[in-house]
Amino acid sequence: MAASPDYVTLVSSDDFTFVVQRSSACISPAVKRMLDPLNGFLEAKTNTVRFDNISGMVLEKVCEYFYYNEKNEGARDVTDIDFPTELCLELLMAADYLDV
Amino acid sequence: MSARRGGNTIRGPQSALTDFLAANNISARQIRDDYTRRRQLPGEGEDAGEGPSNQAVEQDGDEALAVAAQAEEDEKKTNKRKRSEKDAIENIKKAKSAKTGKGNAKKAAKKKAKKEDPDLDDSDDEDFEVNYKKAKPAPGQFEHCDICSKRFTVTPYSKEGPDGGLLCTPCGKDLMKDLKKEEKALQPKTIGRKRRKVESERLDGVATGGAKTLVQMCLQRVAQHHDDVEELGDLPPKLLERLSEIFSKKRVMKSKTLPLFLRPDLDSVVVHDAAYLEEDDYHQIFAVVPNIKKLVLSNTCQLKDKSMDYMLDRCHNLRHISLYAANLVSEEMWHRLFQKAGSKLEVIKLKWLDAAFEDEAVRDMVQCCPNLERLKLKLCRRLGQDSVDYIAQLPALKHLSLQISQQVSNDTLINLIEQRGSNLETLSLEKFMDADDAVLEAIHDTCTHLTKLRLSENDTITDSAFAALFTAWPNPPLTFADFNSTRDVDNNNPTGPEEAIGLGTAGFAALMAHSGASLKHLDIASCRFIALSAFLDVFNGAQSYPALEYINLSFCNQVDTSVVAGIFTSCPGLKRVVAFGCFDVRDVVVPGGIALIGIPTAQDAIEQFGVGIGVEEAIGRMVEVGA
Repeated sequence: MAASPDYVTLVSSDDFTFVVQRSSACISPAVKRMLDPLNGFLEAKTNTVRFDNISGMVLEKVCEYFYYNEKNEGARDVTDIDFPTELCLELLMAADYLDV
Repeated sequence: MSARRGGNTIRGPQSALTDFLAANNISARQIRDDYTRRRQLPGEGEDAGEGPSNQAVEQDGDEALAVAAQAEEDEKKTNKRKRSEKDAIENIKKAKSAKTGKGNAKKAAKKKAKKEDPDLDDSDDEDFEVNYKKAKPAPGQFEHCDICSKRFTVTPYSKEGPDGGLLCTPCGKDLMKDLKKEEKALQPKTIGRKRRKVESERLDGVATGGAKTLVQMCLQRVAQHHDDVEELGDLPPKLLERLSEIFSKKRVMKSKTLPLFLRPDLDSVVVHDAAYLEEDDYHQIFAVVPNIKKLVLSNTCQLKDKSMDYMLDRCHNLRHISLYAANLVSEEMWHRLFQKAGSKLEVIKLKWLDAAFEDEAVRDMVQCCPNLERLKLKLCRRLGQDSVDYIAQLPALKHLSLQISQQVSNDTLINLIEQRGSNLETLSLEKFMDADDAVLEAIHDTCTHLTKLRLSENDTITDSAFAALFTAWPNPPLTFADFNSTRDVDNNNPTGPEEAIGLGTAGFAALMAHSGASLKHLDIASCRFIALSAFLDVFNGAQSYPALEYINLSFCNQVDTSVVAGIFTSCPGLKRVVAFGCFDVRDVVVPGGIALIGIPTAQDAIEQFGVGIGVEEAIGRMVEVGA
């Protein structure tokens, strides 16, 4: 395993795991700081971040948002990502927590 | 009275089907006659049994009739009429099957099986026949709803269901709603509208270029479905405030949605549009959030004495009161407010008070609020010079913002500045048209802690006074400077007087020399006597203004493209440039991350956003275009 592998794992509160690219996950400053090897957190050592306050469905949308954001970096007139309204409030809280 | 030929003008009640057929030139009797005639020709092979009353017998008889009827149809009718009659028959069949659903299950099943092909449908005729007796009921009669099978009275407005029968009112409404939604969904949204929405969002401060933040998108979705939101859960206060801002903007902050923002553990309630809130809602605010420290209510047109009383009884921790347009609050109540809650108040912001709030109220305020640090009094029509004198006595004042419509003498202003200037960090004097050079001198001599200075809408102060203010001023560089509309207004003298009035060339140069290093926000709109040379000197590309994020050059008509290019080069942190009415600015290529607003070009939008190109490249392109 390389010192800073390309992919990281995000685990939700109900034990769903999502493997995403490091660059995408680090769009969230919170995740970036958690995975920064200089800080010496457990997450950085295992390249895994566990979110006990975010459920699987919400985390899935968050990962989708990571990729969507990276893909549309600097583009003009980007269409909005689609997400079910029921998920909206939880997604809002997760987004605020991750500062994304 | 027109005489009708044919004699017999009296017609008895007819079934709807007969009416319909007659309208399409189909004579029911003729069909029956032809059928009976034809039936007699081939002889047996078809059962007799026309009796419409007995349904079991009907079926066979109807078969025959159907055959005959179909034959007739094929011969006589055009395609269109055939189709319309098929539809009519379908409708009747559905209506009938709804009615006789419980009666004859087998028959109904048979009917359903053959629903698709009316041509072969043997039961068609049955309905055809039966409907002679029982057509679509006329208004006033009872009918069972197609969808929910409830009994209801038929009216002329009863909607038709998808199966052809009539619907009761609620089902009819639902159906119409669904149809409307479908229609709307099918409508192609024009591209222009979408782009406009994107640009409008960008102007609201959402990031230029790239995707929106997830928080932003979620907030928008919540605001979109404000009707369905029951509870906001544990949203952190900052998000709650942002959401309340969006709700206020969309004008959906009403009695129903207000409780979403009230939680006992909050210490601030911010409602930017309280126009729909009534007495009960205010009581609810103060009841649910008794520990409130910060109360911001704008457009509080319905806030009355009773609610204020309630607030004073319950809320003892008020520190920040911001009430805009609270015009139903009486003078005595203002006095009571200051007397009861004044000792803890630190921030008072009042705007748009026309009916009450006199100078005496200000006197009370000054006496009862020793801890007042921030005061904003704008557009309070009854305040005058005395208020300014009273305000001059506030010991802890740090931020002062005044806009007083009545005459205020220069001496009063100077007195105010001399008394309080040394502590002031913010000074905003708007629309003091007669303030003169001496006021600026007083600022120069007394104020040493200012970070934000606004002196707008004035046509007396001279350019040299501005220059003198910023020359050798011990005050550290400002972060916010607003001198918009300081100029001479005289239609007979468009080029201005000899001795420049308002922020002009000298003043502007001095301002930038003094504060350029930390200036974040610069507003020099309508300072039209600043010469082009001054602009070019200040924004010459070599000088750098690292903190400048917002600059408003509207109506400085000497500004041209090279000035804008210079601004792009000199201000690395620039985010917004507002330049309405600068007609010499053309063909600007905007670098990434900057919003240029107000340059009039027929083809482009009024807002131009740079995406993805660097400053040098943008300037390079501009030079090419200009050359």
